[in-house]
Amino acid sequence: MVVLREGMCPGLSEDLVRDLRAAGVKTVEELVSSDIEGLAQKCSVSYKALFAIRRVLLAQHTAFPVSGADLYEELLSSTAILSTGNPSLDKLLDSGLYTGEITELSGGPGSGKSQVCFGVAVHISYHLKQSVIYIDTTGGLTASRLLQMLKAETSNTEEQASVGGGSVKAVIVDSVSAVISPLLGGKQNEGMSLMIQVAGVLKTMAKDFNVAALVTNHVTRGGNGEVLPGLGASWSHIPRTRILLERVERAVSISCSSLRSATLIKSSRQVQAALTFTSSAAIAQY
Amino acid sequence: MTMKMKMQRTVTGLSLSPSVKVKLVSAGFQFTADLLNLKPLQLSKEAGLSQQEALEVLQAARTDGDRAGAGLTALELLQQEDDIRSIVTFCSQLDTVLGGGLPVGKITEVCGAPGVGKTQLCLQLAVDVQVPPCFGGIGGQVIYIDTEGSFLVQRVVDVATAVVRHCSQLVEDDEQQIAMTAFTVESILSNIFLVRCHDYVELLAELHLLLDFLSNHPKVRLLVIDSVAFPFRQFDNLSQRSRLLNGIAQQLITLATKHCISVVITNQMTTRLRGGQSQLVPALGESWGHAPTIRLHLYWEKSQRLATIFKSPGHMDTTVQYQITSDGFRDVELAATKETGSNCC
Ligand SMILES: Nc1ncnc2c1ncn2[C@@H]1O[C@H](COP(=O)(O)OP(=O)(O)OP(=O)(O)O)[C@@H](O)[C@H]1O
Ligand SMILES: [Mg+2]
Repeated sequence: MVVLREGMCPGLSEDLVRDLRAAGVKTVEELVSSDIEGLAQKCSVSYKALFAIRRVLLAQHTAFPVSGADLYEELLSSTAILSTGNPSLDKLLDSGLYTGEITELSGGPGSGKSQVCFGVAVHISYHLKQSVIYIDTTGGLTASRLLQMLKAETSNTEEQASVGGGSVKAVIVDSVSAVISPLLGGKQNEGMSLMIQVAGVLKTMAKDFNVAALVTNHVTRGGNGEVLPGLGASWSHIPRTRILLERVERAVSISCSSLRSATLIKSSRQVQAALTFTSSAAIAQY
Repeated sequence: MTMKMKMQRTVTGLSLSPSVKVKLVSAGFQFTADLLNLKPLQLSKEAGLSQQEALEVLQAARTDGDRAGAGLTALELLQQEDDIRSIVTFCSQLDTVLGGGLPVGKITEVCGAPGVGKTQLCLQLAVDVQVPPCFGGIGGQVIYIDTEGSFLVQRVVDVATAVVRHCSQLVEDDEQQIAMTAFTVESILSNIFLVRCHDYVELLAELHLLLDFLSNHPKVRLLVIDSVAFPFRQFDNLSQRSRLLNGIAQQLITLATKHCISVVITNQMTTRLRGGQSQLVPALGESWGHAPTIRLHLYWEKSQRLATIFKSPGHMDTTVQYQITSDGFRDVELAATKETGSNCC
């Protein structure tokens, strides 16, 4: 929905906007789908003028059809695949994070989501010499840990202080669920609409700026105790690729195992697969 | 292809109440640019807002432009982390694995069975945070929210006496000599603001009021909630409970980061049945587990007390021994030759 405003196109004056409102036409959609002849009479404006306005608005606001070939061309020229720095995770992701897409990591507390995010941030800024925007909603971002990962890559302190530099290639949101889930449920469904808005912004951003969006999500339990990504069905369509991270539990108590497993639960490219890795292995590689 | 080359700011990004945002969006206002040419009266009519709300929306939309792009680089964050000292626990082994103590600006959860020492650790921290800077402390004040009625002043006096004694033994120069005249058991007690909450409504209300309190008391560096679990123990509507808890989590994170405070909360343990096995896990459900940045588990093993870091974005999972003496939370003497007490200050 786009509201009609004066000056949006030639001929759409303040008076006309007011008259259109009076006639119950507030948005571009309403203008485009109403009967021009009747509307012209109601607003005492010439049919020709209103028709012209409609044509311009249509041109401004419709999506053009694109051929598959053009799309493919664009895909090839603009999509980049960013390695996560963890070879087995890259394999699971069919080479890495794709720009223009949203990739999701879900998992319980301490499952290693933030660790993977840190790793991606360090890898992109150190190896690819590009910038990363990290949106931390839980206070978990710890620069000393980033430094520790970076130190495993290079011992040159000057290099450590001056990584990144290029354009922004990835936006990391750790976590989306922390800020959205308090709004969901209850009597109002405002939370739902805000969630969809957030999703929309993320998608547009990923596409328009050609960056990889990496988001984290918490998990809930299904009816049979199985682990499911949080935020429900409406959100499940948003990420293009979803990965579930879990602690590999050994003991009966809250385990201290450093082994983590990653499972691909949604992908448009790969069949479902799983792998295990350790957080200390992640350090070894870094 | 149609492509908006420049991202427009959406109205949902403004700091407004959710209901106002929904009204704006359903009236067709998507971007802040849509709002800029409007008069308050116009907007209130079109979006069905009260005039007051419309005014707030327009103000928010106008000031929004200046605010955009705020943030800091990882290097700046690292410098911040280096500048702020942590709160020592007086158990040097635990301090070492935590990289100097409990971090300021983060939420730390202490989980454990009754009697294992959660409250003792909280009381110890409430005193430790006040250690003057010239002794390596941070000289901060404390807000202590007690929901279980376990805050015992006599115990604080014992712990404080031990810490004052410890510091007075370390005095080497004039600065420290002078600092000691102001660092007394009385001053320690008067810098702890105690709040008793009897149910979750009082706790929620208190957290709302805290923002104002903190603006008036900029020296507060520690917020203790002992415990979060207790007020929520009997709660039939689980989905409402987790929504309230999620809200609390967000509030605590804001407090911790905006006011540079270490938030320390305690939680009980509960048994969970899964796949025929029973497991001892922290209470309040799995999703609460995302809220604390660091989670510590205090437990007994045979006759030893152990503390495990089992979640932290920057620390390996590690276990250390501790003990609780009449002086407070301490290291376990490894050899008889070693003196009690820590040399962490
Ligand atoms: N320096 C380190 N060395 C080894 N392992 C570490 C290190 N730092 C963190 N870890 C491991 O990572 C775990 C924390 O993982 P992480 O912070 O990614 O959790 P998370 O999935 O983001 O959880 P949450 O949803 O609660 O934020 C720690 O419990 C520890 O096992
Ligand atoms: Mg995390």
